[in-house]
Amino acid sequence: MMDWSVIIMGIMLGGLYALIALGLSLVFGVMKLINVAHGDLIIFATYLSYAFLTYLKLDPIISLVVIAPLMFFLGLMLYLYFFAKTSSEMPEAPLIIAFGISLILQNYHQILWSPMSRGLTTSYSLYSLVFKSIYIPLSYLLNFVVAIVIMLLLHIFLTRTYLGRAIRAASQDLKAAHLMGINTQKVFAFAFAIAMVIAAIAGIFLGLTFPFNPQSGVAFLIIAFGVVIIGGLGSMIGTFLGGVILGLAQTLGGYFLGSASQMLVVYLMVLLILAFKPQGFFGIK
Amino acid sequence: MVLNKDGGLMLKKLGIDKTELCIILLTLTLITFPFIGAPKSVLLYLFLFFVYMTLSMAWNLVAGYAGLVSLCPPAFFGLAGYSLAIFTLLKFSVCVAIGVGILVAILFALIISIPIFRLMGIYFSISTLVIPEALRIAFFLWRPIKGTFHGGGAGYMIPVTEKLKMETIYLFSLFVAAFSIYILKKIKNSKFGFGLAAIRDNQRTATSCGINVYKLKLQSFIISAILIALAGSVFYIYQGFIEPSSAFNIKWTMIAMLSTVIGGMGTLFGPVMGSAFVTFLHFLLARYGNLSLLIQGVILVAIMLLLPRGIMGFLLGKSNKVY
Repeated sequence: MMDWSVIIMGIMLGGLYALIALGLSLVFGVMKLINVAHGDLIIFATYLSYAFLTYLKLDPIISLVVIAPLMFFLGLMLYLYFFAKTSSEMPEAPLIIAFGISLILQNYHQILWSPMSRGLTTSYSLYSLVFKSIYIPLSYLLNFVVAIVIMLLLHIFLTRTYLGRAIRAASQDLKAAHLMGINTQKVFAFAFAIAMVIAAIAGIFLGLTFPFNPQSGVAFLIIAFGVVIIGGLGSMIGTFLGGVILGLAQTLGGYFLGSASQMLVVYLMVLLILAFKPQGFFGIK
Repeated sequence: MVLNKDGGLMLKKLGIDKTELCIILLTLTLITFPFIGAPKSVLLYLFLFFVYMTLSMAWNLVAGYAGLVSLCPPAFFGLAGYSLAIFTLLKFSVCVAIGVGILVAILFALIISIPIFRLMGIYFSISTLVIPEALRIAFFLWRPIKGTFHGGGAGYMIPVTEKLKMETIYLFSLFVAAFSIYILKKIKNSKFGFGLAAIRDNQRTATSCGINVYKLKLQSFIISAILIALAGSVFYIYQGFIEPSSAFNIKWTMIAMLSTVIGGMGTLFGPVMGSAFVTFLHFLLARYGNLSLLIQGVILVAIMLLLPRGIMGFLLGKSNKVY
């Protein structure tokens, strides 16, 4: 007898994964840069919220009020002072810089927070909803709802506002966007900053769902990349479905093969999809 | 180095040029070190330098020459280490174990080339990042043979370490490093090397010039895998202990990348200088643990921003394009 709550948890986990991937996908779409530091920036937000929770007893979701603008600012700075400054001579430069930032953050976390695994434990994070035999942790449900809300908001932003349209234009054809009078540097900086805000939200819900340690960033980067690969670029629904597929892969893998190998299932899935369908299932291209 | 006419002629007869002569002379000097009683600490410094140099040579071949920013050196490094551990524990000789390590690396490179070589640029990089992570978990779950320790990722002791003297290990590492620089030197000025440079600069043009892009990329990837496997074998002969989270650790990519980027990507001697710098840095910061890696990250970013073509690129000047 298959346990239905495993499947439902997988789908809800997919919401979190879509959220994690959304920032990566946005940066990639606009700047054609896979931000290798994305996972670590997410964990950075998680640790910030952990600090607020431990020292100020501030609820993680409320701490977002402070962390989101902080991450927005950090994103602007990162773009303006690092990624915008690379020479055009070396196409690999932004990637290597992102790799460097990832290393800096990882070791900064290790020094500040020790390699111990931590979690955002709140009064509601261990609470579960029970319907007959189906059992859903509240944090998973929150992930799912928040993911849908954020995706809708992002969709509205990208289709209804000037800046959003400019971002889309720049991601479709940079040169043409430039000729149309769009300040592409500004657009890039804002796209990066918005990606960081989404990363902050993802980081906080990740902390509510999973234990995390300074090395977790790489695992979540790979998940985010897998989601982007499965979903294809530029497709919001694709990203969401990609998240759900990987979420299901992880929970089902954990259910059948034991929790130690659940990430292995996810990684193998990413490699297999790369081997057979590198452009993703829902890509626009 | 100044050579008179006769000297130059003699070199030509032997079929070696000045750079090769420098390498040979330097290697010969370094060989004498254990015999003239150099202190153990110096040998250890140089040993690590040779391992790092081989790693960065290998990474430079794929990233600097062929333009494939691969993030999977730890995979080959760890696989070679594990082959060494397993086959020496099964009472095979060290040479057999190293040979198996190289074979495993070649096979593994061939297998993973199927999915990852369909990807370009950044997609390629990230897909190679997945591989060491997957291997790390795989080796946590899978214990090929019984060792001294029990449990998931407990790791193995490598029995050869006790038998070999530091001097022998040193000479072996020197040989590996000399071999790697010799190979890279040969590749750089060969048709193969120019083909790789063409692919890096513009893959489409390279294809239309009749270069077999897939074949060349695969060849460079496999050569790099062999060199990394050699570096891994040497390192674990010295280390004497292997466990998954350090064997498949991203720090090996970091060392290779940092050395190459500091020295200058796509240059022959860049990685040599870079790895000397990184070795120095490691000993200097050895006491600080994570702070050491953090500082290395800062240096990596700073070099990329200020001297994107590394020390060699800086020395050769703006007019002379390194690539």
